[in-house]
Amino acid sequence: MNRSFSWKKALFIVLLLLFALWFPRLVDAYFLHLAVTFFLAMILASSWDILARTGQVSVGQAALFGIGAYTAALLFKWVHLSPVLGMLAGGVVSVVVAALLGYLTLRLRGIYFSITTIAFAEALSVIWLMTPAVTGGAMGLSTPPLFGGDRQQAYYLILGILIFCIGVVWMIEASRLNFAFTAVRENEEVANVMGINPTRYKVLAFMISAFFTGFAGGFYSHYNTYIIPYEVFGLGISIACLVMPIFGGLYTIAGPLIGTMIVKVIEEYLRVTVSYGHQIAYGLILILVVLFMPDGVMGIWRNKVLPLFRTVSR
Amino acid sequence: MEWADFLQSFANGLLIAGLYAAVTLGLTLVLGVMGIVNFAHGEIVMLGAYNTFWLYTLLGIDPLLSIALSGLLLFFIGLFIYRFTIRPILNDPPLNQLLLTLGISIFLQNLAMILWKTDSRSVITSYSGMSLSLGVVNVGMTRLLTFLIAVGLTLFLLFFLYKARPGRAMRAVSENNTASWLIGINVQKTYLLAFGVACALAGAAGALVSTIMYTYPMVGFKLSLKAFCILVLGGLGNIPGALFGSLILGLTESFVGTYVPEGSGWAEGISFILIMIILIIKPTGLVGTRRE
Repeated sequence: MNRSFSWKKALFIVLLLLFALWFPRLVDAYFLHLAVTFFLAMILASSWDILARTGQVSVGQAALFGIGAYTAALLFKWVHLSPVLGMLAGGVVSVVVAALLGYLTLRLRGIYFSITTIAFAEALSVIWLMTPAVTGGAMGLSTPPLFGGDRQQAYYLILGILIFCIGVVWMIEASRLNFAFTAVRENEEVANVMGINPTRYKVLAFMISAFFTGFAGGFYSHYNTYIIPYEVFGLGISIACLVMPIFGGLYTIAGPLIGTMIVKVIEEYLRVTVSYGHQIAYGLILILVVLFMPDGVMGIWRNKVLPLFRTVSR
Repeated sequence: MEWADFLQSFANGLLIAGLYAAVTLGLTLVLGVMGIVNFAHGEIVMLGAYNTFWLYTLLGIDPLLSIALSGLLLFFIGLFIYRFTIRPILNDPPLNQLLLTLGISIFLQNLAMILWKTDSRSVITSYSGMSLSLGVVNVGMTRLLTFLIAVGLTLFLLFFLYKARPGRAMRAVSENNTASWLIGINVQKTYLLAFGVACALAGAAGALVSTIMYTYPMVGFKLSLKAFCILVLGGLGNIPGALFGSLILGLTESFVGTYVPEGSGWAEGISFILIMIILIIKPTGLVGTRRE
C-alpha cells in the first residue's frame, strides 16, 4: 500500500523485532505457549488474506491446514523425517493440492468457490475417518514433542516462519502482483482484457496461501503432538482463518496481524470462562464487521482515529 | 434377496429425500426471492430440532405437534434475523452476504453448544419403534410420517407461491424486483415475509429432523452442506430442482450405504463429493439457473 520508505516505520519494525526476539526471556511457559499459538494464527490469517486479495473467499482453509498437519505427522511415522523438514513437506504438499484444486475450481466465482472449499475440507475429513489403516482414522496420530519439548526453539521457529510470511506479503504488495491481484478482485473481465489471466493469478495466490497454511499445519501437528481429523479438517480452523483477517482489515499487512491479536485474546478469555462454544466470538465478530465496520480495525484506524490526530496537529 | 435389498434401500433413500427436501425448501425460497445463499439456514433447522426435543422432554408435547410450534417460533426468529442483519446488507456484494450469514451460523452453533452442550439428543416416542411392512420392504413409522409431512410442507409452499397473494408477490419479486415495485408490490415486506416463511419451514423441518436423527449443535451445519449439494444438483433457487436434488442425494446416500463396504460412513461424504464434482464440471450447477 504505502511504498514510500519512512524512518519512523523502519524504527518501529526494528523495535518490534527486537522485542519479539527478546520475548522468551521475559515470560513464563504459559505466555510463551500463547505467543506460539498467536504467531501460528497470524500465519493462517495473513495467508488467508493473500488468497482474499484475488477476491476468493476460502471457507475451507482447514483442508490445507490438515493436509500439512497430516503430511508432517505421517512422514514422521513412516520415515522419521525431522520435524522441520516434515513441516516444509507439509507446506509443499499443500501447495500441490492447492494447485490441483485451484486449477479445477478457480473458474468458480464468489459463493460457488466458497462452498466448494467447505465441501473439500469436509470430504477430506470423511476420507481420513474412513481410512484408519493409513491415516489413523478418528483416533488421530501422535508425534513426540517438538525439539524435545523445548518451547523456546519452537517459538523461534514459528517466529521465523511468521517473518518469512509477512515478508512474502510485503513483497507481493511492493510488486506488480499487487496490481494483478487487485485487478482480478475488482473485475475479472476487465483484468482479462488488460492482459491479466485471472485463473493464473488466482491459482498463484492460492498456492502461496497454501504453502504457509500447510506449513502451519505441520508445525501444529508437531507442536501439539497430537492431531485428529475432526479438528485439523474442522470448520473451526477454517472460520478462524477468515475471521481474524476480516476483523483486522483486508488487503493490508498489519490488518490480519492486529485482527489475530484481538480475536485470539477474546478467544483465550472465553476458552477459560465457557467450556464449549468459545467460537461464538468468531460468529459475533463476523456479523458486527459486516454490518458496522466494513474495513475492519484498520478501516476504523484510518478513517476515525488518524483524522483526530491530524486536526490536533493543525 | 438381491431385489429386496435394492427395494429396501430405494425406499430408505426416498424417505430420507423427503426430509432433505423439507430442509432445502426454505433455503431455496430465500435464494430464489432475495438471491442470498443463507449459510445459517441449517442452524435454523437445528433450533427447530432443539425446540422439538425440549418441548417433548420437558412438557411431553408430541414432535408431530411441535412441527407447527417450531415453525411458528422460528418464523418470528426469522423476522428478527431479517430485520436486524439481512436487511441492511441486501444490496451488498454476495460475498458480504455470505460472510454475514456464515457469522450467524457460527454464532448459533456455538450458542447451542454453550446452552445445551455437545451431547447428541434424540426424541423417542411411543411410535418410534413401529414399522410398516410392505411386502419385502420395511418402513419405519417415524420415517414414513416424516416423509408424508415433508411432502405436505412442499405442497403447502407450492400452493402458497402459486395461489396465495403474498406468495405470488414473492414470485414476482424473484423475477424482477424493480418491476414488482413499480406495479405496487411492497418489496421490503415481501422479503421480510419470504425470510420468515423460509425460517418457519426450516423450523418445521427441524422438528422432523429431531425424530429421525440425532440433535446436536453441528447438525445444522451438516444439513446446510447437504442442502447446498441439493441446490447445486437441482439448480439454484427453484423448487422442482430442489426436489429433484433431494431425491438424487437421498438415493445416492442410501445406495452407497447398502452396497459399498462400510458404506454408512462413506455416505456422509457423498454430498461433499457431489458438490465438488458438479461445480467443477458445470460451475453454475447441474440444471442451470436464472441467477449468476
